[in-house]
Amino acid sequence: MSVSRDDFSIAFRSALLQRGGAQKFSVLSLIFLALIIFFLDVYGVKFTKPVRSFLNDVVYRVTFLASTPTRFLPQAGKEISSFFNVKEENERLKLELEKYKSLELNVEFLTDENKNLQKILETEYFNKNLSNIILAKVLVDKNSPFLKSIIINKGTRAGILKGMPVTKDNYLVGRVVETNYLSSRVLLLNDLNSRIPVTLNEGAQAILSGSGTNNPILEYLPEDYETIEDINVFASGKDGIFTSGTPIGITNTDGTVDLFIDPNQLSFVTVNLNVQNKGKL
Amino acid sequence: MAKSSFINKIFNAGPLILLYYLCISEVDTNLEKMFEIFTLNFQIILIYFWVIKRPDIMANGHIFLAGLINDVVMGFPLGISSLSYLIIIFVGTYVRNKSVNTTIASDWFTFFMAMIFSNILFFSLLNNFSDLSFTYSKIGYNMFFTLFMFPIFWLLFNIYQITFIGNRDA
Repeated sequence: MSVSRDDFSIAFRSALLQRGGAQKFSVLSLIFLALIIFFLDVYGVKFTKPVRSFLNDVVYRVTFLASTPTRFLPQAGKEISSFFNVKEENERLKLELEKYKSLELNVEFLTDENKNLQKILETEYFNKNLSNIILAKVLVDKNSPFLKSIIINKGTRAGILKGMPVTKDNYLVGRVVETNYLSSRVLLLNDLNSRIPVTLNEGAQAILSGSGTNNPILEYLPEDYETIEDINVFASGKDGIFTSGTPIGITNTDGTVDLFIDPNQLSFVTVNLNVQNKGKL
Repeated sequence: MAKSSFINKIFNAGPLILLYYLCISEVDTNLEKMFEIFTLNFQIILIYFWVIKRPDIMANGHIFLAGLINDVVMGFPLGISSLSYLIIIFVGTYVRNKSVNTTIASDWFTFFMAMIFSNILFFSLLNNFSDLSFTYSKIGYNMFFTLFMFPIFWLLFNIYQITFIGNRDA
């Protein structure tokens, strides 16, 4: 009995303290070091923020470089297959071009009409502050089962603040949750931690909550509200951060939302620096 | 002679290079895009196998550093992945000290124990000290598939070890 207890304690101590050969550090010393780093980071001691910010910037750039081959290979495959479909694609594009030419006049007319109507309603034109919108490249898009986020190549140097809305083609993608000098982390709408006040095109208000899957869920809808398919969902702007009327997606019958932008297919995004209420960020 | 020694060094460093690459690059083993629930923690399989079989090629300091890099890339509090990996090393080293000969079945069972301890620590720290929320079903799927895939990777790593590194097992 005592022999087996001795065996246990010897093996236990050895596993914790063993060094030598390739092992320059014991497990115990590294556990202590990791705990110190963890608590320093969690409790945000003054000097840890700039250190973490610097580390983030460096590691994100290295990650971008290290991921280049994985991005290049699928792209090369696509280009090779498109090369063989050039003739077919050319004919299809000609037809599409004809169609769009006829639509262009219609769009121009509708744009003018829209601007005039917005002037009458005295509301802000959606793209009024284009100078305050910056384009950012997605550096890292690492898929995690627990966090849905991307890293972009613009940070506090470009004027990005925590909480700023991020869009693609004017569709809402997420918001900035971490800023470094040269990079930022964007929390996507489908992340479990994402909550956005939204309005449906019938006027109903709700909260769009990320579910960890590709389709976020509408919560806190009015009582007795029945969700039907194909209703547009927009940011309501009630939080003072997101521009009201920014399109997000369309509803499904089960109360989930199909996002207009696939969160797994982002390569460039825009950050709106002109948030309505910077004090809240 | 010198050339073959250099090639041996490269092969020996293979698992460590793979660990660093998995932590720092966009490459991930979460195939959620294809299969809704399939997620896998490949790093802990890699660490556990090599700690059990050839701890001399998987140094603790390197695993600690890889954990820190993983935290930065994934957006977790710094040090949390390192702690989780160190628990895997600790259980692996303990099992190695206690056992004379290991089989795929014994390694599979002890890996399950290591994964349980490591994940309990990881998610309890994440739950208590960060604002991140997560669903228990996802953790469950992740653990299940990691455990399920362990024997497959065990065989693959074993082939790699026998072919390129050589067996110096205890």
